[in-house]
Amino acid sequence: MAVKRLKDYGLKSERLLWPTKGPGVFEQELGVEDLEQKLMLTTLERAVAWSQSKSMWPDQFGLSCCAMEMIAIVGSRYDIARFGMEAFRASPRQADLLIVSGRVSHKMAAPLRQIYDQMLEPKWVIAMGACASSGGMFNNYAVLQGVDKIVPVDIHVPGCPPRPEGLLEGIIRLHEKVVAGVPPAYEIRGVAE
Amino acid sequence: MAVVARNQPGVIYEGTRIPSPIPSMLVVPPEVRESDDILTVNFGPNHPSTHGVLRLVVDLDGEDVVGLNALVGYLHTGFEKNMEHKTWWKAITYPERIDYLAFQANEYAFVAAIEKLLDIETPPKATWMRTLLLELNRIHSHLIWLGTAALELGAISLLWYCFNARDLVLDLFELVGGTRMHTRYFQAGGLAEDVPRGFFTECRKFADTFPSTIDQYETLLTNQKIWLERTKGIGLLSAADAIALGQSGPVLRASGVDWDLRKAEPYLAYGELDFDVPVYENGDVYDRYLIRVDEMRESVRIVDQCLEGMPSGPWITDDRKVVLPPRHELHTSMESLIHHFKIVTEGYRVPEGEVYVTVESPRGEFGCYVVSDGGPKPWRVKFRAPSFVALEATATCMTDALVADMIAIVGSLDTVMGEVDR
Amino acid sequence: MTFDGLPGLVEARESFGETTLVVDPARLVEAARHLRDELGFSFLSDITPTDYLGWGEGSAAGYYGTASGRDINAPGSQALARTPAPKPKRFSMSYHLLALTSPPARVRLQVWLDDGEPVPSVIEVWPTADWHEREAWDMMGIPVTGHPNLVRILMDDDWDGHPLRKDYPIGGEPVRFSGEE
Repeated sequence: MAVKRLKDYGLKSERLLWPTKGPGVFEQELGVEDLEQKLMLTTLERAVAWSQSKSMWPDQFGLSCCAMEMIAIVGSRYDIARFGMEAFRASPRQADLLIVSGRVSHKMAAPLRQIYDQMLEPKWVIAMGACASSGGMFNNYAVLQGVDKIVPVDIHVPGCPPRPEGLLEGIIRLHEKVVAGVPPAYEIRGVAE
Repeated sequence: MAVVARNQPGVIYEGTRIPSPIPSMLVVPPEVRESDDILTVNFGPNHPSTHGVLRLVVDLDGEDVVGLNALVGYLHTGFEKNMEHKTWWKAITYPERIDYLAFQANEYAFVAAIEKLLDIETPPKATWMRTLLLELNRIHSHLIWLGTAALELGAISLLWYCFNARDLVLDLFELVGGTRMHTRYFQAGGLAEDVPRGFFTECRKFADTFPSTIDQYETLLTNQKIWLERTKGIGLLSAADAIALGQSGPVLRASGVDWDLRKAEPYLAYGELDFDVPVYENGDVYDRYLIRVDEMRESVRIVDQCLEGMPSGPWITDDRKVVLPPRHELHTSMESLIHHFKIVTEGYRVPEGEVYVTVESPRGEFGCYVVSDGGPKPWRVKFRAPSFVALEATATCMTDALVADMIAIVGSLDTVMGEVDR
Repeated sequence: MTFDGLPGLVEARESFGETTLVVDPARLVEAARHLRDELGFSFLSDITPTDYLGWGEGSAAGYYGTASGRDINAPGSQALARTPAPKPKRFSMSYHLLALTSPPARVRLQVWLDDGEPVPSVIEVWPTADWHEREAWDMMGIPVTGHPNLVRILMDDDWDGHPLRKDYPIGGEPVRFSGEE
């Protein structure tokens, strides 16, 4: 079946669609016709953004239960290799994306920040699951109430644990964000109060 | 049967390999530290091969491991304190996340403790269904273990095979509990809901095809030369050492001790089921691998028998003081309405006392100690996690080991850091 | 199985099918050795410290709160509101033991301690007690004498306080609900 590109709808950003899906969330918010005026993207920046989204390598940062669902997306049913992301790098120096999957205790907060600092720009962070987004069901002395207190987060994925499809939706939204030209979170906002 | 170590005061026993004076830590002797070139390496909390956030500080003399210190606590979540602040019903959600690979085993231990204090009987359908789900949890846990242990030693393709099979098990959990992991399906008194239509058919399909799947996975590893070289004779733990170190589950059975709580202290429907418990003699990594593969086979046998013998009937006890009455009764019966109101707002109260309930989780003896003051909230809940004591045995298994064996040994102890740190 | 010969035995009680042996803390190690060598309890399953600060002051033991169980057929025979029986001291350390015999035997060895009162280490009897006692120190602040490596295990090394005590706050953050603006 022929894949319809955005330009077949009269839109300008280059993006791969499947037939029944419309424009992405960010393109709808920003108004797709004016994308280039709104964000002042040049063709080169658009090309770079497109390629960044096509092979965004995650860092292995599985902490607890959400990590099991993160490993499940590597599996053959929820294949993440189709996004070019099956290479989960062990070294943060080689990774682009940090998927914080699981509850972050205060003892682990320092290693997390260290891993984040060791990643090279541009870098993105997905807070996977309720515990990484906000502390989850553990509102107590031991768990950091939201990983956005120490690292700037691009996408929060809800769930306890989120289904692999949920995480993939988060990753796809991140790709849309990157392609739309939204800068990574460390440029827009710092960390939460 | 089992080995009982009898010794003189001050000495553990002759022939022990447990390091002294600190049993869980290998300390470099001062003369070695001065004379040789010791390299201290940190296998940090973020490491691809340490099954979660385990930190090992290792002293290396060339390739030999002469010092080992396992540092945990990077996933400490404060489960026990959190549960003291929730009512009994709400607190059931917490134990599942402790050992996130065999989630319903933890849930069952806590629910069994509540039922022991309340002294209520669960109907047979709930008992058999719980047995079935616990065995599916065992299969799920061993599949993940097999996939990740093989991945760490280099047999990478097994990861995809095992996770594919794991997705089938998770489909069954989703069918019965609504979500893939952490279903929170057990309730004090039985199950939360009736078993949905179609579950038994799907489970039967799974149980029929799974034994051949295990056979396929075994052909990849069991007689394979590289696997044998990397796991045979590595990480030795004798039976007496294992008992002294509090090991249980596959680690204990690989050392030759025939001890399984499902046979020794039968709970749920295990007393009526026919299954074998694999026991091997050598106490090395290879035997622990063989045990877990055999346990998967036995679990499928148990699942088969549960499906054959599943009774029909109610899925939860009808003690209205603890369990919500069915909704249609609320329209007609005043007492049901009051019971419903009291249970939902205040929570049921559990009599005063303390109990300790143990369950054979895929890692070993998972215990739950509950103290109740008679009120609507637990007073103290403590979970005895088998991975916590398994990490204590790392130092003993790593005596005279190479750094390359460290990954194999830590993998074979099958630790889940959620359990260790709680 | 009779526990009369246990050194330091203060009380032996049965409830919910479990035997609890309360011993004097000073003779704990002797009692532990007796249990392991004479009676065959070679497996230490768990060491649990419990803090009973505030026991009996909160919600009273309700309709179902009798230690001997509940009788659903004779509800009127139970007292209505009853406070739970007071505990001898603030902390209890329970050692859950298992004998790997057929049939197996379980017993709970219990000592009662005040705040700051130390308990001797049973590491020479059961080496697995190492980390359990470290956790008891870390979480509850029960000092263990004779332990070769008593440092914090679950919390940060420089953490202040003992989190599982009843006077330690639960922590966390207040949750803002959107209707409260």
